[in-house]
Amino acid sequence: MATSAEGGIGRVVASVLAPLCVVSGAIVLSGFFFPAFVGEAVSGAAWLALALLFFSSGLGYLAVLPHRPDDAQSADRYLLKIRQTGLRDAIRTFLAGQDPLTLGLPVVVFVLFFGLQVALPDRTSAAVDAATGTILRTGGPLFVVAVFIAVCYCLFLLLGPWGDITLGPDDTDPTYTYPTYFTLVFTAGIAAGLVFWGPAEALFHYGDPPPYFGATPRSTAASNDALVYSLFHWGVSAWSAYAVIGVPIAYFVFERGAPLRVSTILAPFLGVSGLDSVWSRLVDTLAVFATIGGIATSVALVSQQFLAGISFQWDVTVGGTGPLLFVGGLTAVFVLSAVTGIHRGIRRIAGLNVVLFGLFALVLAAVGPRAFVVERGTRALGGYVVHFVPLSLHIGGEWVANWTVWNWSWWFSWAPFAGLFVAALSRGRRVRTVVFTSVVATAAATAVWFLLLGGTSLFVQQTGRADILGAIAGSSASEAVAGFALFASLPLGRLLSFLFLALIVVFMTTSADTSTLVVSLLATRRGQVPSTGSVVFWGVFQGAVATAVLLVGGAGTLQALAVLTGGPFAVISVVAVGGLTLTWYRHERGHTSVLRRGLDRLPSIQTHHDVDPPEEK
Amino acid sequence: MVDVPDERREPALEEVFYPTDRVPFVEWEQFSGARPTVVLTGAITLLAFVTGLSNLSQPTFALDGPLTAVVTVPVGFARFSGVLFAFVLGLVTVGLQRRKRLAWRAAVLALPGLALLPLATLQTTDVPLLVLVVVAVPSLVWNRAAFDQPVDLSPLQIASLAAMVGVGLYGVVGSYTLRGQFLELDTWSDAVYYVIVTIATVGYGDITPTTVQARWFSLSVILFGTGAFTVAVGALIVPVIESRMATAFGIMTAAELTLLEDHVVVLGYGDVTESLLNELRDETDVVVVTDDAETAAALQTDGVSVLTEDPTDESVLSDARVDTARGVVVGSNDDARDVLAVIAAKNVAPDVRVVAAATEEKHVDKFDSVGADEVLNPRTIGGRLLGRSVLGEVTTLSVTDDAGPERSTDPDGGDAGN
Repeated sequence: MATSAEGGIGRVVASVLAPLCVVSGAIVLSGFFFPAFVGEAVSGAAWLALALLFFSSGLGYLAVLPHRPDDAQSADRYLLKIRQTGLRDAIRTFLAGQDPLTLGLPVVVFVLFFGLQVALPDRTSAAVDAATGTILRTGGPLFVVAVFIAVCYCLFLLLGPWGDITLGPDDTDPTYTYPTYFTLVFTAGIAAGLVFWGPAEALFHYGDPPPYFGATPRSTAASNDALVYSLFHWGVSAWSAYAVIGVPIAYFVFERGAPLRVSTILAPFLGVSGLDSVWSRLVDTLAVFATIGGIATSVALVSQQFLAGISFQWDVTVGGTGPLLFVGGLTAVFVLSAVTGIHRGIRRIAGLNVVLFGLFALVLAAVGPRAFVVERGTRALGGYVVHFVPLSLHIGGEWVANWTVWNWSWWFSWAPFAGLFVAALSRGRRVRTVVFTSVVATAAATAVWFLLLGGTSLFVQQTGRADILGAIAGSSASEAVAGFALFASLPLGRLLSFLFLALIVVFMTTSADTSTLVVSLLATRRGQVPSTGSVVFWGVFQGAVATAVLLVGGAGTLQALAVLTGGPFAVISVVAVGGLTLTWYRHERGHTSVLRRGLDRLPSIQTHHDVDPPEEK
Repeated sequence: MVDVPDERREPALEEVFYPTDRVPFVEWEQFSGARPTVVLTGAITLLAFVTGLSNLSQPTFALDGPLTAVVTVPVGFARFSGVLFAFVLGLVTVGLQRRKRLAWRAAVLALPGLALLPLATLQTTDVPLLVLVVVAVPSLVWNRAAFDQPVDLSPLQIASLAAMVGVGLYGVVGSYTLRGQFLELDTWSDAVYYVIVTIATVGYGDITPTTVQARWFSLSVILFGTGAFTVAVGALIVPVIESRMATAFGIMTAAELTLLEDHVVVLGYGDVTESLLNELRDETDVVVVTDDAETAAALQTDGVSVLTEDPTDESVLSDARVDTARGVVVGSNDDARDVLAVIAAKNVAPDVRVVAAATEEKHVDKFDSVGADEVLNPRTIGGRLLGRSVLGEVTTLSVTDDAGPERSTDPDGGDAGN
């Protein structure tokens, strides 16, 4: 990711994107401000294409802007280099940098899978569905226990003595300021699913209450339980899965000089020097599988939902090529973002993401039923705390398999890349800060989102302002339409819908660019920097898998892939926790826990801080 | 820590995740300075205009904002206010760009006023305006120290502005008082309308004076009003255009400056400069550095390269490429400034040949002591030449030989000391 080398291409891309963004933006804005004149002159599908073009070219332009003005100077040299390098040389350099196992196996397996799906669609689907069903039902307890262990371990790290361990030399200042750190972790670790399920999940539980609570459907009790359950599914449990993969990697990378790979979590068993073995390469390959499976299925699913929501709301049908074009555009943006690197594309788009997220929440809070949301939200938070342990250990039943276990498996399929990403950013931070950020702070942000959106949609549904559940039932797109039905009943609904669509695109981009970077990192030979070609290849490969999922697979295949790839990492996370505990028990004594320090201080000073101040010097 | 990692660092980790020492959320200094504030105000101006047009174009216009619960906002005002604010803000943005204190005050008052529009309408199209204003006002307050330039108006400008305001007040109050003697003039807004239509020499004629007194009054408004209006336009706008022209003509571009080599730099403009330029311009490139805009404009018209800057400023001399120059001539009418210019030239390029023209004989030594390579006193030379010329010593006119062969044959040589 040598920024200087990309100055030339960056300028060329920027000079294409800037006019594209300005022209499409001007048309979109004129349609926005003058719906009577301009709005009706252009068809709905054209508006959709223009808006997406505007948004994606804007994001791309944001990504290619140079980090420092002087980056552009070495551009001419680079252009010269392009002219002199042939395609064959480029491919040879690319292959020389790749690890044959991590490159070959995923490519072959994905090609094989989709080949089978095309050749024998019925039998493959049946086999995948059977495998998924088996994993969800019989492996359910495994997921539930693995997540519960992760939560308990995170709590222990937060409060226990090992939270004091600084990652990296003691005198290093964190490179990433705390807002950047939080932003990158939050936006990478969560996909557009958050945006769709925010207004929908609580409503689903309201219409079909979970058996654990067993309330009457559509009763007030059911609405409270619904909020509690959506908090549970998107709260600390989900984020803990990332932390238990991330903290071990960060420790062994920054304290023991291990390579930045997922297989580093095996260091306690293999030793840092033994990380070149087949086992560790297998874990890395598995991580590539899980990441591509998790991200590509998310991209495909989100694209379908995005367009389904639009066709529900504005009656714009895009046909079969619509999702493919959407995935193609999304791929272009996240590849650009990943190629420009973490301090350019990824950071800027993540920043935009958080700003949009906050803006949306503010607007919704301003026009929504604030008193209702606050009242129900505090009650749901109380219920979440009280019922957390029983809910976490509640196994059994079709409902839990369909909701909780399904969610957990999805989170685990994202855990390798999100965990590795958290680890990579954490140099100079304490373990406690890492856990606080990647579990508590991020879960707090998602909790606010779910309480705000879920509470508002429950309010709208209960007071009869709009029948969102009816809209969901009446549409084939399920949860994708909930948001639009909700916003239509609120003031400033048009603005909320626009922001909502923008959020979907940008949330998907921020996850996919990070995963592209991580996968190319994993697939590059040890000791080498992933080349631009490698990043582009893996980004395009993810896009291609998403396209293939759209072309040959139904919804069942999408879910199955995510679940299948998440399963192994539920096991690996438990192994990682065990290994880390073993290492720290041997080598990291002499740290004092926060609780002990608090007790020691109690007679003199009343205050004790649970968490390190974010900007420790 | 038990075992500190060895120096073998992961290149992937370092290059991908730690390319710089610090990765902030946003580079605040890029977005929080005075310049971004001005740009933001400009963006608000544009957005206010577009929003205003959008509000005007809507067939039905409803006010559903929270503000309507508190006060009644006239629908007509809400419709037009976006565009009106845009025109005011356009002026304010120009003032802010020049870092004027007055413009800052106006912006701090106008922007919250503009925020009332989206709060009153709560249209989707108006919300972006609200968001930008919410960002811009703290930015303005934060950067208040940057906008510290006073509005320096000349006495004529102040007088003409005061006259405009005075005539306006006189006309409005007077015509309202005499409303009984006017046709169709009944209210204050009628009076304002009448005065503006009259001063602008539009004169629709829908409001007309009916009595002698009212006619005399109207005539006085026309005379003083149009007079004040014309003077104000002249006093306010002409200087702006003049200074623009001077700068436009008097500044060489950076590209032109970098091309200079083996040229002669003339610092300051004095009595000898014109003949000096005549002497030099056929031989070599000449750049004149003077801070007098009028001289610069005149020279530029004659095709001489001019830099309208202070000739005693080292950075200006660097721009004029004194270091690559063949020589420097210092010869304005102010010896004190010339001494400074010699010192500046020697500071920039110690080896360059500096020739100074001392206006007064007694200053020759001073030029010598600050490092001028040769000091001439044109008056002394001219006087000597005149003396020799009147005595018929033609051969000693060799000084003028170089100036022009045809003159050396002229035994009078009368204008040698010009």
